[in-house]
Amino acid sequence: MATAGKVIKCRAAVAWEPKAPLMMEEIEVAPPQEGEIRIKVIATGLCHTDLYHLVDGDKRGFPVVLGHESAGVVESVGPGVTDYKPGDKVIPLFLSQCGKCKFCKCPKTNLCESSWATKYHDIMAEPTSRFTCRGQTILQFMGTSTFSEYTVINQNAVAKIDENAPLDRVFLLGCGITTGYGAAVNTAGVTPGSVCAVFGLGAVGLAAVMGCKNAGASRIFAVDINEKKFEKAKVFGATDFLNPKAYNKPISEVLIEMTNGGGVDFSIECTGNTEVMRSALESCAKGWGVSVVVGWTNVQDFSAKPIQLIYGKTWKGSLFGGFKCKDSVPKLVRDYMSGKIMLDEFITHKMNLEQVNDAINLMKTGQGIRTIMTVSK
Amino acid sequence: MVAMETEGKVIKCKAAVAWEPGKPLSIEKVEVAPPKAHEVRIKIAASGVCHSDWAYLYDIAKMKPRPFPLVLGHEGAGVVESVGPGVTKVSIGDKVIPLFLPQCGQCERCQSPKTNLCTKNWEKTQQGVLADGTSRITCKNQQVHQFIGISTFSEYTVVPEDNVTKIHPDAPLDRVCLLGCGVSTGYGAAVNTGKVESGSTCAVFGLGAVGLAAVMGCKAAGASRIIAVDINSDKFEIGKTFGATEFVNPKDHSKSIQEVLRELTNGGVDYALECVGDVAVMRAAVEACSPAGGVCVIVGWIEVEELSLAPLDILLGRTLKGTYFGGWKSVEAVPRLVQDYLSRKILLDEFVTHRLALDQINQAFDLIMSGKSIRTVIEM
Repeated sequence: MATAGKVIKCRAAVAWEPKAPLMMEEIEVAPPQEGEIRIKVIATGLCHTDLYHLVDGDKRGFPVVLGHESAGVVESVGPGVTDYKPGDKVIPLFLSQCGKCKFCKCPKTNLCESSWATKYHDIMAEPTSRFTCRGQTILQFMGTSTFSEYTVINQNAVAKIDENAPLDRVFLLGCGITTGYGAAVNTAGVTPGSVCAVFGLGAVGLAAVMGCKNAGASRIFAVDINEKKFEKAKVFGATDFLNPKAYNKPISEVLIEMTNGGGVDFSIECTGNTEVMRSALESCAKGWGVSVVVGWTNVQDFSAKPIQLIYGKTWKGSLFGGFKCKDSVPKLVRDYMSGKIMLDEFITHKMNLEQVNDAINLMKTGQGIRTIMTVSK
Repeated sequence: MVAMETEGKVIKCKAAVAWEPGKPLSIEKVEVAPPKAHEVRIKIAASGVCHSDWAYLYDIAKMKPRPFPLVLGHEGAGVVESVGPGVTKVSIGDKVIPLFLPQCGQCERCQSPKTNLCTKNWEKTQQGVLADGTSRITCKNQQVHQFIGISTFSEYTVVPEDNVTKIHPDAPLDRVCLLGCGVSTGYGAAVNTGKVESGSTCAVFGLGAVGLAAVMGCKAAGASRIIAVDINSDKFEIGKTFGATEFVNPKDHSKSIQEVLRELTNGGVDYALECVGDVAVMRAAVEACSPAGGVCVIVGWIEVEELSLAPLDILLGRTLKGTYFGGWKSVEAVPRLVQDYLSRKILLDEFVTHRLALDQINQAFDLIMSGKSIRTVIEM
């Protein structure tokens, strides 16, 4: 490529400070260093985690280019990179999989010692960056920064995918869908015939519903205060629909009653709200219920009575659905291509990167599920 | 079948009665009614004294209220004195351990391999009465409630048949009584609930009987490092007896205990077992776990207070669970544990630090609060 080895000037949406609208800026993207890949971003989505950081994030995490759910094409590779070449279709990953550290060798976790999440989860970014704007370093959100026409990522955090994969669909596997789906099939370990409840019906929650269905759950309660989401939940496999505001008692009591006093076998919380995390645990069956926290928050503690756990419930969390990212994302792409998982149905709006603040407003107001933003042609 | 002199009759005997919360137990002459259908009357030979017995009497702010007057005690062993109609599993003269957790074998929970929480009579025994809604103990013409349906601080008690298990005739009752609660709970927390794996690193918080049993469970499961944590360094010697490899007193460090443990283990332990029943310790135990699949088991008994956690501590990959009676299916597991003791696979003698008579039972509570005992056994 004509740009290999050179600084690329391109457009990116920069968050200069918390709570302010993103600004389209011309930035400079340095060439990839050892073990790094520079990627031309073709399509990206907006996740609640981006919004969370923008609204509530640590000030030390700014200025930053957000975005961590995308798909693109390799533009060039740095020294030592042999598994990728220009033109490869790839999905940047916000977790890493070096394959060598104690975490990568352990089947119980998808953490990796080389990941920003292992060390810098307060500021949601590595301290070093390949982005500059007007002489100032701009951080790369979650090691990915996909609200930019070009980004640079360590090869440990890049998944090479099928050359026929439609990038305007599979970008969703960079975060939301993989996270929700994996929370059900991996972290919760949903079993055939089981009863499940999913709290929060954004993209992550709907993916969790899809995971419960694919795992063979017999009954899937979809819970959200916004009833407009129930129709889409049905598309993904939900069997029952509950709006907590329609009841004058806690939703956990409603769920326990609707399951003949037993509670659900698996609950998956996809809101990032600590009260909902508690409700999800309390909705579970005594003796064997498993509740998985998926929604992200760094602001508030959640609480519960230990007796809930003593009486047999299990509380777990899930990061990127518990998937080993480089191994799993290419498989999920193939699952989509073979019809095992849905992706198209998550996309409700199409924009380009210049309209990123409109996408943010849609998310803030609970409209739509996922907006796809075209970044580069 | 040899008929007992007392069969079918009310028995008058001694029991330690709690007339009201916050007051010492009172040694009283009580009347124990004959067993009704599906009930077993047991002559108690020995009973351990558990921290939770003390808590329901003296620390009631942390416990759900239980009705008084009450005969406490839930860690006993004895001999069947008589059985009511319909009882087929035990006979007069059998050595038995009464169980605060039943196993009916029929309910959904008993049929599930995932839980031991039998629902039979649960609501009633929690309220201190048996299946028909009454207790079998009276004193001065007043009904006295039976703690979790058992009441082992009495020379005789009556329990539902699903709350009793027959054990080996050679079992020494003054040792195996500990399998009625503390030892089974701690040991099972490690091997059943935590599912501690060979070669793993564990931390056990609190070195009372439950904690020491958890240490023993970690060792039996093949853990390579077992870090015992207690603010009382006097307990480290006995911790070593049960298999602990390292000892940490939080008071010796300016950093939080979870930071200390994360540093000691290069990122956190694989399994943490909280055996204190304190929500601050529970949080520390979670945070001491490795984010890469670390498992924290809440073992310490607590009913009312709330545990607070940062979602990130769970999101990164830790698992939090709890255990009731160590996850054992009580009726079938306790006889096996007795067998394990008789064949020296588990220790019991080493837990017993004091032996007292029933009349001295309030001293047992003093010993608990002073931290000087592991287990006191009341010999009836």
